[in-house]
Amino acid sequence: MKLLFTLCSIIILIFILAALPMTLHDDSRSTKDNEFRFTPRAGLEAVKDYFIGLKSGETFHYRQGSDREPSFFRDIGSYLMSSYFYLVVSGLIAVVVSLIIGAWQAKSKQEWAKDMLGFLGVIPDFILVLLLQLAVVSVYQSTGIHVAKVASSSTDNPAILLPIITLSVIPVIYLIRTLSEQTFEVLTEDYILTAKSKGISRLSIYIQHVFRNIIPSLKADLHKIAAIMMGNLFIVEYLYNTRGVTGLMFIEGDYQYNLIVNGLLTLVILYLFFYWSMRLFVFGLERIFAYE
Amino acid sequence: MSKGKRINWRLWSGMILTAFLFFVAIFGPAMAPYDDDYEEKIVYVQTDQGSELKAAPFPPSSKHWFGTDKYGHDLLTLLLHGAKYTVFTAIIVALGRLIIGGAAGFFGGMHRAEKVKGKNQFGVLGAFPAFLIVYFVMLGMNINSSLSPWQLTVFQAALMTAVGIPGVYSVIQSKTIELRKKLFVTAASSLGGGTSHLIWKHLFPHLKGNLIALFVNEIIATLALIGQLGIFNLFLGGTIKQFVPVIYFSKTHEWAGLVGQMRGFVFNAQWILFFPLCAFILAILSFYLLSRGLELRERAAMHKFPHI
Repeated sequence: MKLLFTLCSIIILIFILAALPMTLHDDSRSTKDNEFRFTPRAGLEAVKDYFIGLKSGETFHYRQGSDREPSFFRDIGSYLMSSYFYLVVSGLIAVVVSLIIGAWQAKSKQEWAKDMLGFLGVIPDFILVLLLQLAVVSVYQSTGIHVAKVASSSTDNPAILLPIITLSVIPVIYLIRTLSEQTFEVLTEDYILTAKSKGISRLSIYIQHVFRNIIPSLKADLHKIAAIMMGNLFIVEYLYNTRGVTGLMFIEGDYQYNLIVNGLLTLVILYLFFYWSMRLFVFGLERIFAYE
Repeated sequence: MSKGKRINWRLWSGMILTAFLFFVAIFGPAMAPYDDDYEEKIVYVQTDQGSELKAAPFPPSSKHWFGTDKYGHDLLTLLLHGAKYTVFTAIIVALGRLIIGGAAGFFGGMHRAEKVKGKNQFGVLGAFPAFLIVYFVMLGMNINSSLSPWQLTVFQAALMTAVGIPGVYSVIQSKTIELRKKLFVTAASSLGGGTSHLIWKHLFPHLKGNLIALFVNEIIATLALIGQLGIFNLFLGGTIKQFVPVIYFSKTHEWAGLVGQMRGFVFNAQWILFFPLCAFILAILSFYLLSRGLELRERAAMHKFPHI
């Protein structure tokens, strides 16, 4: 019930948001009248046209270039798969890496390691992308070694390594922070002291007591992780030029309300797919570490 | 406690760098070597074979310390002129988020029933990337706008404040709920202290360290948000779009906007991207060091130790 309510409000939010560029308008170069205009009517028209167009299917066509009007459903499957692939691979890497590093880092007193991690964590996604691209190019120019593709040049030749690094680094940093805090808390508990005094090996304590007690907080963080990664997806797909769902939103040319709404709705579906895939993975982890 | 006496170098370097940023933001335009509309398209260079014609972009030299962009603008000048928009907008937005979200969070936390603790009321807004909201609001009005850079900056700052309030609210609210269970709050309350008395005299002093750290983190988050919009050509203070060929310029030369505008110079003339990128990272680094320094100072008091 709650999920349904949330979904409905997100969908309404999407319809309103996408109509805003027509409602709040000020473009002196194209309309000749130099003033800021607030025209809710134009926004409402767009929403109305969207629903009228549903019947004829016009809603699901968009303009590409000057004369082509392909159907939205023609390519969306492959876009969706591409975005989903990047998200899930990076998400899985993020969870595994952060579980290991988080457990190891919990007791570390080395403040410089936390400094580095923390600084990596506050670096915005686009800075990370640009730095990685600059690094790859300068390595290539000075040594001639082609480390990774800087951006996709075509559909058949997608950049894979750098987008996945970028997409996983940001959730990894976030997760390491929360998980290492959580691990620290667990390590201070009395049952760990009991286990230690019984002579149980360190590895067994980690597997039997520590991991199973931090998995719930991982589960609680999944929505947050998914949301962070979806936000990063826009930047990553745009700067690496990978063909994904978010790319639909930044097509050069006039603003296309129907296309934006359809794209955003697809993103909601992508989010749900992605979230439930991660949920399934954590469920698998529970079966390994927290079975009865 | 020998550790406590050690100099908190993060705090000090953070403060020095932030002071430097403020200095640049205030006196930058006065120090700039050229006017902000100065263009040096071509120069004659004396070589062995006589004079030679060279066109922008020019790499870093004694004449242009950071080089020039493709159109001959001196990059150092652009950065010095844009600093004020970056620094002050980020600080004002963070302050706004903290004051509004914090006040609401304190009162919300004091009045909230304990059972529902942990539930996020702003679930929908929280799952929605903040930058999308600002993006769609600004998209129609930011490009070739008739509004002045200041009007657009103020408008976008207000918007960025609004989208950040829920986050601050839920942090402060959950901390308040945690704190109000403490004995000293119960004691003060049973002696007849009202809600605002409890907040001002007991909760606020207790959370002061957290609030300052949160403030610095919000500054960084705001910088990131401005930058993300810049990547999609919505520069703070307005975008100038030229049509044939399609090129986007930042009106204010704000740092994150410059990074977005120059993002294409990855393969050649990298200094055009490199220096704005460095300036932006420097801004983030100074605020980050400040926040870490404050965090370490606060944490020294309460410490737990792991058993293994």
